[in-house]
Amino acid sequence: MSRCVVSQLLFLLLGLSCGSAIGGEKNADPWWAIQPLTRPELPKKNTQHPGWAEHPIDRFVAAMHTEKGLSPAPAADSQTFIRRATFNLTGLPPTPGEVEAFANDPSLEATKRLIDRLLASPRYGERWARHWMDVVHYAETHGHDEDAIRENAWPYRDWLIESFNNDKPYARFVREQIAGDVLFPEDPAATRGIGFLATGPWDESSQMGISDGTIDKKIAQYLDRDDMIATVMSTFVSTTVHCARCHDHKFDPVSLEDYYSLQAVFAGVDKVDRPFDADARLAKRRALLLSRQRTLGQGEVPEGMFTNADLAQLEAELKRSQADWAILSPAVVESSSGIEFEAKPDGSFLALGQAPEKDTTTFTAKLPISGVTALQLDVLTDESLPQNGPGRAENGNLHLTDFVVRVNGKAVNIDKAEADFNQSDWTIDRAIDTNPDSAWGIHPQEGQPHRALFVFEKPLAASKGDEIRIELHQLHGRKHLIGRPRLSLTNRENPDFNKPISIQISTILKTSREKRSKEQKHALAFYFAKAVNEREMASLGTQNKVYAVASQFTALGNFKPAQKPRAVHVLHRGSIHTPGKLARPGALSCVDGLESRFTIARAEAEEDRRAALAHWLTDDRNVLLWRSIVNRVWHYHFGRGIVGTPNDFGRMGDRPSHPELLDWLAYEFRARGGSLKWLHRTIMTSSVYRQQSAHNEVFAASDADNRWLWRMNRKRLDAESYRDSVLQLAGNMNWEMGGPSDRQFNMSKGVHVTPTLDYIGFDPDAPANHRRSVYRFVFRTIPDPLMQLMDCPDASQHAPRRESSVTALQALAMLNNRFLVRQSERLAKRLEREADSPIAQVNRLFRLVYHREPAPDESRLVSQLAREHGLANACRVVLNSNEFLFVN
Amino acid sequence: MRPALSRRSFFETTAGGFAGLALGQALAAEAADGQVIHHRPKAKRVIQLFMNGGVSQMDTFDHKPALDGLNGKKFDPGDGRLVESVTKSPGFKVLKSPFGFRQHGDCGRWVSDVLPHMASIVDDLAFLMSMNSPTNVHGLGSYMQNTGFTLPGFPCMGAWISYALGRINQNLPEFIVLPDPNGLPYNNHGNFTSGFLPAQHQGTVIDASDDQPVRYLFPPKEANHIHPASEAASREVLQALNARHMARTPGDSRLDARIRSLMMAARMQLSVPELFDLKSESPAVLKLYGADNKTTADFAKRCILGRRMLERGVRFIQIWSGAGGPSNNWDNHANIHSELPHMTRQVDQPITALIKDLKARGMLEDTLVVWTTEFGRMPFSQGQAGRDHNGGTFVTWLAGGGTQGGSSFGESDRWGWKSENGTTSHDMFATILHLLGIDHEKLTVRHNGIDRRLTDVHGHVVREIVA
Repeated sequence: MSRCVVSQLLFLLLGLSCGSAIGGEKNADPWWAIQPLTRPELPKKNTQHPGWAEHPIDRFVAAMHTEKGLSPAPAADSQTFIRRATFNLTGLPPTPGEVEAFANDPSLEATKRLIDRLLASPRYGERWARHWMDVVHYAETHGHDEDAIRENAWPYRDWLIESFNNDKPYARFVREQIAGDVLFPEDPAATRGIGFLATGPWDESSQMGISDGTIDKKIAQYLDRDDMIATVMSTFVSTTVHCARCHDHKFDPVSLEDYYSLQAVFAGVDKVDRPFDADARLAKRRALLLSRQRTLGQGEVPEGMFTNADLAQLEAELKRSQADWAILSPAVVESSSGIEFEAKPDGSFLALGQAPEKDTTTFTAKLPISGVTALQLDVLTDESLPQNGPGRAENGNLHLTDFVVRVNGKAVNIDKAEADFNQSDWTIDRAIDTNPDSAWGIHPQEGQPHRALFVFEKPLAASKGDEIRIELHQLHGRKHLIGRPRLSLTNRENPDFNKPISIQISTILKTSREKRSKEQKHALAFYFAKAVNEREMASLGTQNKVYAVASQFTALGNFKPAQKPRAVHVLHRGSIHTPGKLARPGALSCVDGLESRFTIARAEAEEDRRAALAHWLTDDRNVLLWRSIVNRVWHYHFGRGIVGTPNDFGRMGDRPSHPELLDWLAYEFRARGGSLKWLHRTIMTSSVYRQQSAHNEVFAASDADNRWLWRMNRKRLDAESYRDSVLQLAGNMNWEMGGPSDRQFNMSKGVHVTPTLDYIGFDPDAPANHRRSVYRFVFRTIPDPLMQLMDCPDASQHAPRRESSVTALQALAMLNNRFLVRQSERLAKRLEREADSPIAQVNRLFRLVYHREPAPDESRLVSQLAREHGLANACRVVLNSNEFLFVN
Repeated sequence: MRPALSRRSFFETTAGGFAGLALGQALAAEAADGQVIHHRPKAKRVIQLFMNGGVSQMDTFDHKPALDGLNGKKFDPGDGRLVESVTKSPGFKVLKSPFGFRQHGDCGRWVSDVLPHMASIVDDLAFLMSMNSPTNVHGLGSYMQNTGFTLPGFPCMGAWISYALGRINQNLPEFIVLPDPNGLPYNNHGNFTSGFLPAQHQGTVIDASDDQPVRYLFPPKEANHIHPASEAASREVLQALNARHMARTPGDSRLDARIRSLMMAARMQLSVPELFDLKSESPAVLKLYGADNKTTADFAKRCILGRRMLERGVRFIQIWSGAGGPSNNWDNHANIHSELPHMTRQVDQPITALIKDLKARGMLEDTLVVWTTEFGRMPFSQGQAGRDHNGGTFVTWLAGGGTQGGSSFGESDRWGWKSENGTTSHDMFATILHLLGIDHEKLTVRHNGIDRRLTDVHGHVVREIVA
């Protein structure tokens, strides 16, 4: 009986069962997966079976057939082949036209053309990106208890689709996912690739809720990096390195130190939204403006930003824009609480006497100009005001609750308001929101004059001499009143009122250039530099974002950026309480020819660590990488890899059924620049791939699992292929690619962070239902029940292969799901449009769904159902049939 | 060892027709009973009552008179031991229980006044008096008590048991979850996931308050073209098409399994409404559970449904009290004195009635009832009179299914702060699996290079509470 004492608890939290990991006894049983990769000799030609003597894949597989006393199945017919190939490469069924064209040309050339056409289709990238998303446990929420939404996860998904469609060389594909932000400055959009590092769950309540520096927080950070490491190493090198979190196995080529070296690679990053630019020109420009912004932040004018001529021109422009302001004076000033005002020579009005709690001050005057477009309110300082004002509150603050303008008695609509400074949460727009509880304030910038600008919806129809009334409502109390207001008007067309210039700058402009002090010259140049830089920043637009990793970001509660790599210790027995020495960034020690510890020039630059790992992974000598990917692709074509455990090439994983074939594929794939499209073409043109899936009792008796590939494997459609096929068949697919994911649920506020989702009540006709399933929003802890019943994996786990369950609940979901029922009605509508008689409609239905004519009895059965209970019921039956659900 | 995997692999592979299995054998995979029995089981089925939020142990079952004298003083366990709490507990001031405690039953179990009903059946309950958990965070704690891991994505106990033992019944799911109608618990469906086990073992979530409690059981209401006559005709045509297809593609047991699954689906359409029809329950039974009382009605209804599921051969049932979030659950941060009775009043009578009812029907012998929570609470106060999370020690009890009524194991320290002699979720899982005839160390599935178990690399059967 274990009696767990407190000191063991944290071990429990970090510790996972590490029954075994990769590798075997080093001396006794050399581990196959890390043996050097050479090009194996092709087995000698076996001419016994026509078509099996040439293609290298066929020769490897045929050699094993001979050894095991098996023989291949005949080639599949054209209808079977095109259905298989189209589903494999695009996740969709072929159209009747495509089936017919292919059937009419039995040549091998036609097969190659078909494969090329499918690989060139954008649907290919969508299909294979979805496979990849399984492997890397992609979802768009954090998982865990506080399962919040990640608004910017999808750019990584789009990057995946583009990468597959563009046949990005595999090494580059890998590098962009580890360090796309670092290694490809010419292509800043490669930053989307590192979304890979953040696909996994993130523990918001521990990361944001728990204080920094506590044990619980450190554990959360170690566990978060563990997820990144497990994702990297399972995905790219099929190594279960996470097994070495607690101890290195006696016979293990993955040591505890290797594991923590990988932790050190990611010591500087956290999962967070990361901004990026779509192209290099924009990125370069933004970098320049940001560096200027930093200089400006230190109160300096960026060097070389302006010539004297530039400054003179800017000043002239500014003066022109300022000249158009007419001060509203004289005016009658009335106060609701009886304040007396003194008219000042500068056109302002100084409040005198005891300040009341609240006031509404009204200015009434004749319009000095016609066609007024905007009004400016200056709040000026004065020695007589508390803290010099400009307000009359104890600290010199003011609160303008509402600003109202009337002309000839009618209220004027104000379109927008701007101020040179806004108190936090007391912004100028609150002075025009007609809400007496909100107001504009200037804390903590008391003691300085400020200016607010109000732009009218349209120029005033009133002319010069008509009456204007301006009401300054200041109803917040505690003497938050304006001490010395001044109003002015303009009739400039389309005024560029981004920010009103401050009174200080106005004063400088009025001072002749020779008389300006050094400080004033600097202030003016600084003003221009800031204004120009801000304008240019704004013109660049906001940056795109991808949920990825970063070392710099704005803190969210207790979730703070690392800035530089955090210290990672080798934790003995995986316990945070027994830290050993500092871990050095690195990777596995067992791969021949590769350094296991990285030499990093800049210790504090976390990106150098990731760059080093990217190079380590994609080195030509990293035999694990090349073997891993060809096996993964093989797995998706045949339903089973040459190694049956695509994420685990370790001793406890499966061993390759055809090791030479695996090596031949890996070697050739690497030699051909890592082209996945080459790999698909090569596999799919083999006779092995083109076999029938027919059963053979005798062979099944000795090889039930079809490990030796004496036929093709029949596959059940996965959830996405099923859903997408139904949409395509019913004629409702929206082929639009990319962008934010489609939320196929109604969402309402939950009891805490996680919202409440309703999948069942979601409108089956909603447009969000009509794109391909790769664009479906995947919510980690509240998955779509239909997709879940059809074996969409739990997105908190890496899923190198899908299950294929058959259950009653699944059958019910497929029959009764609102979306699918609606699509069968749509399919019926389509058939009615495309064919006249019930017999012809059923014919068309079979052609669309099964790619064949119905047999006479089938035709009779299905059309009778259509006649008696409607075509929609017939469609629903066919869409639920085994022939549709399984691919031969 | 992975006996279940090889026998079931045909369901789990994406590749076609791994047709080594005879058809009948293949079908058994969704149907058979007792697939992974290592020894003679004492329990056949399990009903778990999960109190979401962290039940305060020292205000329910773990009587700590030492706190009375320390009330209001700064909590100091001595030896310079670090006292931490996940949210803020200013001053760490000791808070004695505001409830009275009395001894009950032949076993003399101390129970506080907030659980008068459960107090009357303590001789039927086997207590784990000092469970502990490595975390003080709800999400992680819930995962720990449901899956044996603090990380998401691992199969929960119900999924493991479904995977190991298979079906008893032919027309209902084998693992059913009844969440609180106010909402899902912390981690949402993460607590009911089959993780890397086949999807068929995930918990089927039933909203007992919905008029269609089992999702997809019937066609959507808006589909006017679907009605009983069309359904009968459709089923026939589907059956005929599938039969023709299978004749053309022989040797693939999955095709037949799917045909059978459609038949079972049809049976489910009949059996589920019958299951939810409580009209056949006697007024005495309804009253026993408190179905007639507004406070207890919801939990009573779900306990009665649970018993009806047990009767109909559902293997594993999980009933939740309390949704996630900061209130209306057992996460009593603000005021133990008012918040705890608000919860106990809802469940005390129904749970007691469930035990009594099962006993009266002779079902308690082979039905294991488990009462759990994700962690306990602190001996010091938070705010005025609330308590913060405490993974250090908490109480779980089991009943029936081969447990020894009136027994107990484990002890917390004198403040109810941490275990002196405790058990973990792994020990609880090991014990539950043991009672079901399963050796927890032998029930493994290889995933990503590791032979995974419900008990991770830990867990010991708590023999002290086994009959």
